[in-house]
Formats: sequence, structure tokens, C-alpha cells
Amino acid sequence: MAWITKNSVAPIERRNEPYLSDELKRKLTDEVLTRYPTRRAATMPVLHALQEEHGWLPAQAIEEAAAFLEVSSAETMDTASFYEEYWLKPKGKYVIWVCQSLSCELLGHQRLIDALRNKLGIEVGETTPDGKFTLVTAECLGSCGSGPCALFNEKLHENLTVENLDRILDSLA
Amino acid sequence: MTPEELGKLAAKEQKARSACKHRVNVCCAAGCASMNSDKIKDDLQSAIKEKGIADQVQVRSVGCMGLCAAGPLVSIESEGKSVMYKGVTDGDVSEVVESLEGKPIERLNLPTDMPFFARQEKIVLENCGVIDPERIEDYIAVGGYAALIKALTEMTPAGVVGEITRSGLRGRGGAGYPTGLKWGTVAKSPAREGRKYIVCNADEGDPGAFMDRSVLESDPHRVLEGMAIAAYAVGATHGFLYVRAEYPLAIKRLKRAISQAQKIGVLGANILSTTFSFNLEIRLGAGAFVCGEETALIASIEGNRGQPRPRPPYPAEFGLWGCPTLINNVETFANIAPIVDRGFRWFASIGTDKSKGTKVFALAGKIENTGLVEVPMGIKLRDIIEDIGGGIPDGGKFKAVQTGGPSGGCIPKQYMDMPIDYESVKEAGSIMGSGGMIVMDESSSMVDVAKYFMEFCKSESCGKCVPCRVGTAQMYDLLEKIHKGEGASDDLAMLESLCELVSQTSLCGLGQTAPNPVLSTLRYFRHEYLELLRDGQKELAAAGADKGKDGAV
Ligand SMILES: Cc1cc2nc3c(=O)[nH]c(=O)nc-3n(C[C@H](O)[C@H](O)[C@H](O)COP(=O)(O)O)c2cc1C
Ligand code: FES
Repeated sequence: MAWITKNSVAPIERRNEPYLSDELKRKLTDEVLTRYPTRRAATMPVLHALQEEHGWLPAQAIEEAAAFLEVSSAETMDTASFYEEYWLKPKGKYVIWVCQSLSCELLGHQRLIDALRNKLGIEVGETTPDGKFTLVTAECLGSCGSGPCALFNEKLHENLTVENLDRILDSLA
Repeated sequence: MTPEELGKLAAKEQKARSACKHRVNVCCAAGCASMNSDKIKDDLQSAIKEKGIADQVQVRSVGCMGLCAAGPLVSIESEGKSVMYKGVTDGDVSEVVESLEGKPIERLNLPTDMPFFARQEKIVLENCGVIDPERIEDYIAVGGYAALIKALTEMTPAGVVGEITRSGLRGRGGAGYPTGLKWGTVAKSPAREGRKYIVCNADEGDPGAFMDRSVLESDPHRVLEGMAIAAYAVGATHGFLYVRAEYPLAIKRLKRAISQAQKIGVLGANILSTTFSFNLEIRLGAGAFVCGEETALIASIEGNRGQPRPRPPYPAEFGLWGCPTLINNVETFANIAPIVDRGFRWFASIGTDKSKGTKVFALAGKIENTGLVEVPMGIKLRDIIEDIGGGIPDGGKFKAVQTGGPSGGCIPKQYMDMPIDYESVKEAGSIMGSGGMIVMDESSSMVDVAKYFMEFCKSESCGKCVPCRVGTAQMYDLLEKIHKGEGASDDLAMLESLCELVSQTSLCGLGQTAPNPVLSTLRYFRHEYLELLRDGQKELAAAGADKGKDGAV
């Protein structure tokens, strides 16, 4: 839920090397900024680019994005925290998105989630200690006719069973 | 490229096609691809090379053929005849190649005259499963971009708007707003600082709907062409395709399609050597259902949280950065080129009085043939479920079909003979929505379904307005209480009054329609709620006396 607010107590971890490198800035300036009447409009493409580069969005990266977009950090954070697919914590090398929408539910998605929880030893929303897998749920992945289904990073797998799940996980090992 | 050059390209492609004795099409859309159809295609290609008949056989990957549940699908066209194979595996490859010159393989054969195929009428999906979505030449060979040429060279912008208006096309994104009327408004609104925008809404978020994904994966150029025609008609020069990030394959295909279209000059500056220019770019969503709502989508493109704002002003007058903005759904845009090409009369002759053309439905749940089907508006629900869908598997009995996702409702069996069009579906207490149909049999609990959708709305509420943010959470809690058997009639009464309140006072469609799944299940399956109440027996007994009346089962 995008609207639940929390007090953040942890200080921002910082590093010297910027997340938004000069090279990325140049690329974004040439390819993205020119397309819009305002710099703010590039917020989502800039966040997507940073996430693609670093795997997630550390607070420092969001601050740098805000400076680049010439808006306040709070505004960029506001946008970033609204969307579920911006990762404000590190994620695993493979993110497993299990569809939890109605058709997949009717076709037994819970068995799938339980099998994944057992096998990976993590709960939904968590990442394995070795940083390899993150388990999350997603809304309808658009394969309702062949559920239950899940995205493994960008690869969609349909008609999943506990057995072929093992095979897929092993192939990613 | 000039129109003449494009015509030559089409002729060349058609010639290359007809020079081949056999055309083998392997479905490589997400469904079949997840069953490794890519590898089957490669294997087929090597086997054909080995056999030394590569010059007579064309193997290509095509988009969705519709019957995803029977994948991987392969269709073979040989000199006017065509066969279709289902469930093809690596082991079948050599047999398939052998069969090219012999008899079709009985074991794999999927009769193309089965009602699933025969009863469909394809406009939006006509190229899906026929062309290679990664080659613009394939699209051009089947007449692609001819409608754009026609619009640019033979029609005025007002003429195009008129054509769409008279065709009777209505928006396929859910509400069914007349497309021509919307185009007319954008066309009339003065540009702001010289700018107007076109947006294609590909945020397809309704659980159970996957037609937009399939069109984008299987025939991306159709959508680009529709957008370019729209831009010409309303006077826009820039467009956005807002695609949800959960559709990586669709995004990849679109990116490729846009760059191909720019290369041959059907997108970009001076399209087809005319003065018309149109630039198009993809914007990725990031997992927020509410961004499918048009004003939230605009906020998202502008770089803000995806929260809706009150309308009016409508985006058609005051959209992106305050400029007039035309927002249409993927399927709406996919209908444009055929209308311009074949004329409004042709389109208006299909469907019913108020709902013209066809509609793509996604069949899922407890139904034999899951997948995508395109049918003329006005077809009976029974024809979709029993004929095309093949009925309920495992001897089950039909109970209801959920349409319209979280904004829709459940249509029970007494409506089996209802024609499917915008008005009738609404009268039955649901909405057409984007076209998802989730079929449920006697084993499904309607309270479960209502609870599921309420949970969805609760977690997807953007939090801006109180009725939706708090109301959906309260309704969910009540549903859960009832579901657990802890509820009483007071709770049901409270639930009903909240439904009323939330639908009347929410800011956007998400909240306004969130109560629909509850209301429609209460209307037709009230006894299922009553059975769960601690004190439901009395009302249940009273309802029993009414048995046979509308809804009470
Ligand atoms: C909560 C909500 C979600 C929506 N999601 C979508 C969507 O995913 N795709 C879509 O085309 N329209 C969606 N709509 C409808 C759009 O607001 C808009 O009406 C539609 O894109 C207009 O296109 P059309 O006239 O071609 O139907 C949604 C509306 C609401 C209220
Ligand atoms: S419900 Fe799972 S893909 Fe649609």
C-alpha cells in the first residue's frame, strides 16, 4: 500500500562514488530529458535507469536523481515509494513474481508459493541470504489461461507445478 | 519511404511468401514460448535444412494463435490447405517435417473447424498467429500501413475523425466511450504551446484480462499504425505508449517495432514523405494498477505518483502538461487501421445497434478452452462459454462468469442467453470492462471471489481519497469476518451501506466501482453470504420461500 507512512530512523548510507554516474547523466540528458517539456517528467525513466544499473534504488541514488531532475529529494522519494516495482531495498539476482490474481488462485497458486517458501527458506517479500532469490507476489501477469504462472526476472513460466518449479530453480542455480 | 516504395515492398514480400510451398508458423507468444516453442522452431528449421527443402519451406515465429492451453501450437499452410498442431514437442519435429509432403499427423491435429476457431470473427486479432511480430515486412505484406497511407494521402484529419465516429467504435478499455467523439474533442481543442499528445493505455491491470498483452506481442505494428492515424486526425505530434513493466516480452517487441517503423519512415519526421510528423515513445509503468486510470496515467508520465484527479477537465482538453491529450486503449487503437482501410460501413455492419464491431475476450478459470477469442458484439454468453469455450471441464456445472475484473461483477447462469454488449452486461450488474472472463463452476464460492477483488482494490487504492482508502479496507474486514463465519446480519447491512457510500463518493473509477463484485454477488448469490452468517437462517428461510424469482437460486 503506497499510502502507509513509516518513520525512518536509519540514517542514509552514503558512498563517495555517485550512483548517477556522469556517463549515465549524459545519456539521460541526450536521450530522455530532451523529450519532455519539464525535467520532472523524466523521473520514472531516470529511476528505471538507475535501478537497471544498480539492481535497486538506494536513498543516495534517489537524492542524486532529484538533484539531476531539479526537484526536491522528497518529491522524487514520493514518486519512487509509490510504485511497487521500485526497489528501495536490495533485491536478489533473480526476482520471482508469483501471480496471485484470481485465475491463478483458482488454479492453485498457493501450493506454488508454499513450495517456494519451503525450498528457498524465505517468506514472501524476502531475499535469500546468499542474495540469489527474492520472492514476491504480483497481480495478474496476463497468462490467466495457463496458470499458475510466475515471472522469473523477465522470463514467464506458465502451467507451473511443484515439480517443474524445481527444474526451473535448478536451472538458475 | 514514399507510399509507392512501401507498395513495392509489400509486393516483394507477398511474392516471397507465395513462392514457398509450405509455410510453417510456430507460435512464439508468451504462452507457447514458456513451453519452449522457440527451440521447436529452431529444430524445425534445422530439420528442414537437413532434408534439403529449405527453399520450399518458410519457418517463422508468429504471435498468439489463441488457444494457449493447447500449446505449443504450430500451423502449416500448404497450397491453400492448412493444418494446426497442438502440444508439439521436440520429439515431434521430424514427424512434422515428414508430414509436409504426406498426410497430417492425426495425433497432433487440432481441427481448425472446431467452434473455438470457426465461431470467431477476427479483426483485432486477424494478424495474430499469422505474421512474425518482429518483422515489419510481414505486417506490410498483409496490408499493414496501407490505412496510414490512405489517411495521409486521401483523407483530411476531419474526414478520419468522421470515419471513426460513423463506424460506431467504442473504447475497449472498459467504459465504452464513443471513440469518434473523443477524437473530435481532442481535434477541436486548441493545442497548447503547439502541443497535443496521443497516449496508448497498455497498463492492462484487470486480473483476468490479457488481450492487450497478446496484441502487443503478436501484432505491435497494428497499434503503432492506429496511433499514427489518430495523431494525424487530432493534430498531435508526440505519443506515449504506457506499458506495464510486468510485460517484458511486449515491451521488447514494441521497442523493436518502433525502431523498424522509424527506419522505414512510417514513424518520425515527415512520415511517408508527407509533412506529417509523429514521434512515439514507450513509458514503463512500475506496478501500480491505478495508473491505468487516465488521469493517474498522466500524473505518472509527468513524473509524479500515479494518483487520479477529479474530472472534468477531461484529458481530451486538459491532459499531459495541460495539453489536449487523446487516451485510448490498445484494442481500440488496433481497430483503427481496418476501419480506415475498409470503411466505416463495413465495421458498423458487425455487432449490435449500440455496440459495433468485435470484442476480444480472455477466457480463463473453469473452462475447457482457455485463451483469447474474438467475437462479434451481441453474441450470446452461451455461445462463448459452451461452443467456443467448450464448456466446463471435468463434468462441472457452470455457476457464473466474472467479467470486468475488480470493477465488474459475476453473471449467473440465468443470463446465458443474454447478448454480450455494453448495455446488456451492465444491466446484468457487471461491466464489459477490458474483456476478462473468469468462469466459475459450482465449486467456487462467490464470497471468496468478492473478498479476493476487495483485497485487490484495497491494496491498489492510491490512498488519495478517503472513501476508497478507508472504505475498501473496512469492506474487506467485513468480508473476512463473514467469510470466517463470525459475521452477523448487522455486518452484512453495514457492508451494503458501505458499498453505496464508496461507490457514490470516491474520486476515481477504482473506488467508484470497487463495490461492484460485492454488489453483484449479493444480488445473485445472497444465500451464500447468509449461510455464513451467525444469524442468517431467518433471512435464508424467507428467501427460500421466494425461490425461483430472479436471482434467488
Ligand atoms: C482503476 C482504473 C484502471 C484502469 N485501467 C485501465 C487499463 O489498464 N487499460 C485501459 O485501457 N483502460 C483502463 N482504465 C480506463 C481508462 O481510464 C480510460 O478510460 C481508457 O484507457 C480510455 O480508452 P478507451 O476509450 O479506448 O477505452 C482504467 C480505469 C480505472 C478507473
Ligand atoms: S491471474 Fe495469473 S496471470 Fe492472470
